Amino acid sequence: MDIGPVWRAMLKNKAGFVLIALQIAVTMTIMVNAFAIMQERANNVGRESGLDEANTFALASAWFDEFDRDLMKIRIDEDLALIRGVPGVRSAVASNSFPLRQGGWSMSLQTEPGSQSPDSIGSAIYFVDEYGLDTFAATLIDGANFTPNQVSWQVQNDDTWPATGIITEALAKEIFPDEEGSVVGKTIYINDNDPVNIIGVIERMQAPWPGWTGVERTMLVPQRRYSDFQRYIIRTEPGYRDALMPEIEALLANSSKDRLIRDVTTMEQVRKLAYVGDTAMIRILTFVVMLLTVITGLGIVGLASFNVSRRTRQIGIRRALGATKPAIVRYFMTENLIVSAIGLTIGGILSVALNMVMVEAFSLEPLAWYVIPIAMIALLMVGQAAVAGPARRASNISPAIATRSS
Amino acid sequence: MLNMKKVSKTYRTDTVETHALREFSLTVDEGEFVSVTGPSGSGKTTFLNIAGMLEELTAGTYELDGRDISKLNDKERSKVRNEKIGFIFQSFNLIPELDVFDNIDVPLRYRGFNADERKRRIEKCLDRVGLTSRMKHYPAQLSGGQQQRVAIARALAGEPRFLLADEPTGNLDTNMADSVLDLLAEINDSGTTIIMVTHELTLADRAKRNIFVRDGQISDGPPELHFAAAASA
Repeated sequence: MDIGPVWRAMLKNKAGFVLIALQIAVTMTIMVNAFAIMQERANNVGRESGLDEANTFALASAWFDEFDRDLMKIRIDEDLALIRGVPGVRSAVASNSFPLRQGGWSMSLQTEPGSQSPDSIGSAIYFVDEYGLDTFAATLIDGANFTPNQVSWQVQNDDTWPATGIITEALAKEIFPDEEGSVVGKTIYINDNDPVNIIGVIERMQAPWPGWTGVERTMLVPQRRYSDFQRYIIRTEPGYRDALMPEIEALLANSSKDRLIRDVTTMEQVRKLAYVGDTAMIRILTFVVMLLTVITGLGIVGLASFNVSRRTRQIGIRRALGATKPAIVRYFMTENLIVSAIGLTIGGILSVALNMVMVEAFSLEPLAWYVIPIAMIALLMVGQAAVAGPARRASNISPAIATRSS
Repeated sequence: MLNMKKVSKTYRTDTVETHALREFSLTVDEGEFVSVTGPSGSGKTTFLNIAGMLEELTAGTYELDGRDISKLNDKERSKVRNEKIGFIFQSFNLIPELDVFDNIDVPLRYRGFNADERKRRIEKCLDRVGLTSRMKHYPAQLSGGQQQRVAIARALAGEPRFLLADEPTGNLDTNMADSVLDLLAEINDSGTTIIMVTHELTLADRAKRNIFVRDGQISDGPPELHFAAAASA
């Protein structure tokens, strides 16, 4: 490959090549960092919520008659008994929220009582009964589940908290970072001073907010709430969900005419909605990267075509002097290789620099080592593919053009 | 060395058929200096393109050193052009982005010589045309005569079997033209065959044999051409 004379000839007409090299550098910088963002978003979208999503759905019941606390307790117990009695239903629970719902409760937890505790950590709170773990498909890795007699009833806005709780492993590690043994039996404090005895640790269960940095920090407490709005989460046996959704909706609707059954949704629908922003971001960035790559490719085609037109006579002279058609193609390919190498080197440096800024500013993950070489190879291939057409056209220029009057 | 038999070249468009060469036959022996003259549109350039393998012929045969080259493919034609033929063009045809050294280097790289061999040949040819000191100059920094000398050096660097010169003094003033023609005569004296295409009869008398082309065929030519040829013999 005759890089020397190609390089020296390029130096005599720098402007076009410099612009293309800069375009390649900018494209690579954006491509690499967009990929880093896309990868992070894709990782978010692909995270497990902890639920048996394929077999779980949720619905809400809103009673509109006059609120009666005792009647409400009876209604909730009856609803849960009704749902749990349907063949194909594995488990059901009344809870304030569930993973990916994007709305729920959070409280600060701390290892010492007091309002100014420096070690307080935010955690999502789910109110459940003894069916909570099975309904949420939570795997207990330490301790025990709630017993029915631990489940208390509270009125809405009552800030009295149950004395027991089950936490996720992620929360346990954050709230007891130095604890190497079991955290079961330890006490944490909620609402500044209310002690909660940890009776179990589950492998994972996400908070309702997928964009929250502490999404894996969750605590379940044994409590039901007297409220005329109840959210039921229902886990079916595998394959029963779709058939049971309308059946249970109708069952509940028919059991009481004083309410509305609403928000009947599968966890797949909830997941889709929860990650709509991430999915849109991935699509937009993919489009931007593709658009930039196409524009860069077109820029290379444009420059190469211009160079072929500008150097038609020169190409003819080279052919007359003995250049074969492949030699002419190689000339333009080499030229593009040099421009790409310069652009990609600058792009590599800019990519790392921008990534460092983004890691600092937006807490992004640093670039994986392989992203830059992959981007370089991809853009190199785009460049070579883009220049192939004009180079082939150049190779078809007749050597006889050398004898025509200039 | 060069033997064309009944060579024809026809250019066709949808509506027009132009016979640029008609059953053109010519033999050029080793060491000859032949001029090809004729009026504008007579077929001189077409002859040069065919002889230099820049274009394919339509009919007839063309042998170079006893080898029929009319049936060669593009790659083989490029190789023959590179190894056996040196071109000198009217407008010099140097590559403006390359300096003198790199311009002469172009055909040598296609030939596949190593760097040392290329350097040796380039320096030798530049010395022969008296431009060693201009090795790193670009064409735009040279006079017309110097540019043509560089083109001659480029043509000679590959040590070709013959030189094809297309109006080699067409863009030069009289002094520079004489100097270039002296150089061509010197090259011919050293054994290199030269075929020079020109429309100027006064230049043709520097050749040892004159061919006059009219309407794509060899013709007797005008009286002054015969006179000039006889005078130079």
